[in-house]
Amino acid sequence: MKFFVRRTGFFLATLWAAVTLNFLIPRLEPGDPAEALLSRLTSRTEAVDPAQLAAVRKLLGAPDGNLLQQYWEYLAALANGHFGVSYTYYPYSVTDVISEAMPWTLVLVGVTQIFSFVVGTALGAWAAYRRNTRTDSLITLGSTFLGTLPFFWIGLLLIFVFAITLNWFPEGGGYGGGSQPGWTWLFFSDAFQHSVLPALSLLITGPIGWILGMRNNMVQTLGEDYARLARAKGLPRRRIALTYGARIAILPNVTGFAIALGSILGGTVLVESIFNYPGMGRLLLEAVSNKDFPLMQTLFLFTTIGVLIANFLADMAYGLLDPRVRRKDAT
Amino acid sequence: MSRPRSTTALVAGTAVLGLLLAGCTGTDGSGKSTGAGGRIDYLNFGDFGGGAAPKPNYNPYLDAVKLSSTLYMFETLYIVEGNSCKEKPWLADSYKWQDPETLVFDIRPGVKWNDGKSFTAKDVEFTFNMLKKHPALDVRGAWAKLNSVKANGGKVVFSFKEPGASAFTIINQVPIVPKHIWSKVKDPTTFTNAKSPVGTGPMKMKSFSPKQLVTTRNGRYWQADKVKVNEIRFNKTDAGGQVEQLKLSRGEYDQQGLYVPDIQKTYVNRDPKHHHYWYAPGGPVSIYMNLTRAPFDDVRFRRALTKAFDHQKVIRRAQLGYVTHASQSGLVVPGQKDFLPKTLPDEGRIGYDPAAADKELTKAGYKKDGEGRRLGKNGKPISFSFKVPGSYTDWVASSKILIENLKSLGMDVEQETPTPKSQEEDRATGNYDMTFGVHGGTCNNYTNFSEPLSSARTAPIGKKADGNQVRWKDARTDKLLGELRVAVSRDRQKQAVHGLVDIMMDEVPMIPIWYGAKWFQYTTNKAEGWPNERNAYAAAGDNLVWLTHLTPAKD
Repeated sequence: MKFFVRRTGFFLATLWAAVTLNFLIPRLEPGDPAEALLSRLTSRTEAVDPAQLAAVRKLLGAPDGNLLQQYWEYLAALANGHFGVSYTYYPYSVTDVISEAMPWTLVLVGVTQIFSFVVGTALGAWAAYRRNTRTDSLITLGSTFLGTLPFFWIGLLLIFVFAITLNWFPEGGGYGGGSQPGWTWLFFSDAFQHSVLPALSLLITGPIGWILGMRNNMVQTLGEDYARLARAKGLPRRRIALTYGARIAILPNVTGFAIALGSILGGTVLVESIFNYPGMGRLLLEAVSNKDFPLMQTLFLFTTIGVLIANFLADMAYGLLDPRVRRKDAT
Repeated sequence: MSRPRSTTALVAGTAVLGLLLAGCTGTDGSGKSTGAGGRIDYLNFGDFGGGAAPKPNYNPYLDAVKLSSTLYMFETLYIVEGNSCKEKPWLADSYKWQDPETLVFDIRPGVKWNDGKSFTAKDVEFTFNMLKKHPALDVRGAWAKLNSVKANGGKVVFSFKEPGASAFTIINQVPIVPKHIWSKVKDPTTFTNAKSPVGTGPMKMKSFSPKQLVTTRNGRYWQADKVKVNEIRFNKTDAGGQVEQLKLSRGEYDQQGLYVPDIQKTYVNRDPKHHHYWYAPGGPVSIYMNLTRAPFDDVRFRRALTKAFDHQKVIRRAQLGYVTHASQSGLVVPGQKDFLPKTLPDEGRIGYDPAAADKELTKAGYKKDGEGRRLGKNGKPISFSFKVPGSYTDWVASSKILIENLKSLGMDVEQETPTPKSQEEDRATGNYDMTFGVHGGTCNNYTNFSEPLSSARTAPIGKKADGNQVRWKDARTDKLLGELRVAVSRDRQKQAVHGLVDIMMDEVPMIPIWYGAKWFQYTTNKAEGWPNERNAYAAAGDNLVWLTHLTPAKD
């Protein structure tokens, strides 16, 4: 029991630190959101109108009070779920903007993450089971090779081949110009078509880490004494691999998976900007380039909290899955 | 939005269905079609603003976040057309300066809001007084000059704090909104106007999605007979990226404003009959010299430098031939050539003549030493740096050519490439020898000249100046600017501008090199009558003007 209490305490302390840093860091960065907003409108061969700049500054307002006051107000607003008004999407609130982007990322990245984890772990286990055979080298070398390819290059290649040359799938976006977001079959089939290429690019690189991690862990566990004993007892090879090897080897991957699921919230900035996908990653990119502090802050906060919660859950699950962890901590 | 049941609805419905089908295959908008009333069925335009995940926002005063369709829904009293700066009566059909502090507009009778209510002088009065109450909406700074705005029957009387001539273009950039809607809005600074926005303009909202925004013709428009377009569709782009250029080259846009490398090959040659572009000149990109430092504080040195730069090479090599040679006058020619003194040769363009520059420099006391180095008045070789924003690749390439020109005259010039942000900062605080700056290019000549030259706009070295970053201090300039600010008649304005042009030509506070281009591409598959070099009746940005000139394509 003490283990769970300690982990909970640790979780709360980290959460507080994250929330506080999230408040401080954007305030340390120089830059004027009003100027950033207007420079998006004017090309570099146009001078910015000072009257316009003054009006936008008045519109966005400046935080009042000293840092401590601002901090208390920030905490109070967080507790009430108020994240402020986005500068980029003024006068819409940050909550509005994020709740629209969230489903896209959750579905696209969530589904591909789970799929990558399952496929990757299975392939890794298989490679370890058939270690030092042709299957093993094919899987290991193949994934190492794919892993060295730059991600944006894979993305652009997919666009070039499937969207532009073959014209099978749209080249970007979450859905076509003709369909309105809503619970209609037309919209879903359209959104699905648009998600094929980004999902494919994630699936090419996604499983690699899981494959290599799983294979190496399992090769190690299969060399342990208990595995050797099981072999001496004459247990079937398949049973040794699954219950003696894989079950233990999968533990580090579970932690990894929990963290990966947590960071879905931050989106996958690269994939979303290549495919112009309307999710959290592209929102983050936009928030940073426009100095949209309220939006940026909230996105970072969500990501941090997501990772923390996932980590916490993984810790808990670990305690359940692996009795040794509990015992060590208890002493 | 309700629409009378008629064939229009049927046609529009079919068009939407067609668009849905087309949207699935990813090819959209090629082929021509004439729709109801013998008009163009629809036109495909580019981006509509609002960032990557736009939200409906048709508040015409929220410049940074409003969507482009707003520009087709709201109108101003006059339009000062952006190419030749001619005044076109719009929601007002005439105006008169009652005295230098009082401007009276006659409101055009018979104009209706798109919800059927009549547009009156009261709407104008309400609009301006709303901006007074909410300075965050006064994006042009009209109330810095205004004293009061009052409706008087069919007239609106603007009274100014001082002679208000220089505020004319500012007043006419304020979009007029309906009193019967906006007076009920609690806080217009957070009003998105998202539900059926009411304006006087030629188009009204039909549908919005973050990917596509559709506007439809306003049948109640006061010059509806001139609008030959049933629908304008704006399409979300990937912010000028590769995919957009590809779509442009396939002719998927009827009008766009993208930067495209090698436009002739990638766009025009794909369909020379229908694909066209017009890159009209905008504000001049000039060489700014720090006038507080030697040798730039010497007028004879600066005058010699005007002949030292190979404009044509910069235009051809570094600017892809998209831009034109900037006039030393500070005005944008040929659009504003009416404001130039008649005696000025070649509209103030100064040609490349290194021999003459060399001779003038020597005569002014800047001799070359035995090793060919140009010496300053202090006898030491002239050596300075040229700061150019490192990520503006075309500017960097241009500065290389300009630096070569200076080096061939024996000066030791070093190129520095800071970030755009820090170049801007250095320019504002006067921490540079030579750098690039942009000024002017608007139809308000007072702004064009006072921003870069008024001594009231400058600041001591080390302090941030919001204008006059070259640190030009000249009593004659200030006097002429004072005259221009209050000059009501065009003749008096011209007189003051002539004086300022004379200062630009003779005293050389800065050296304009090329005019920034306004990107504008259009196809004539569906519509004809776009403004272009041969028929420059409006600038690319005067959407309300050119929309009334478009007609269905004949072939």
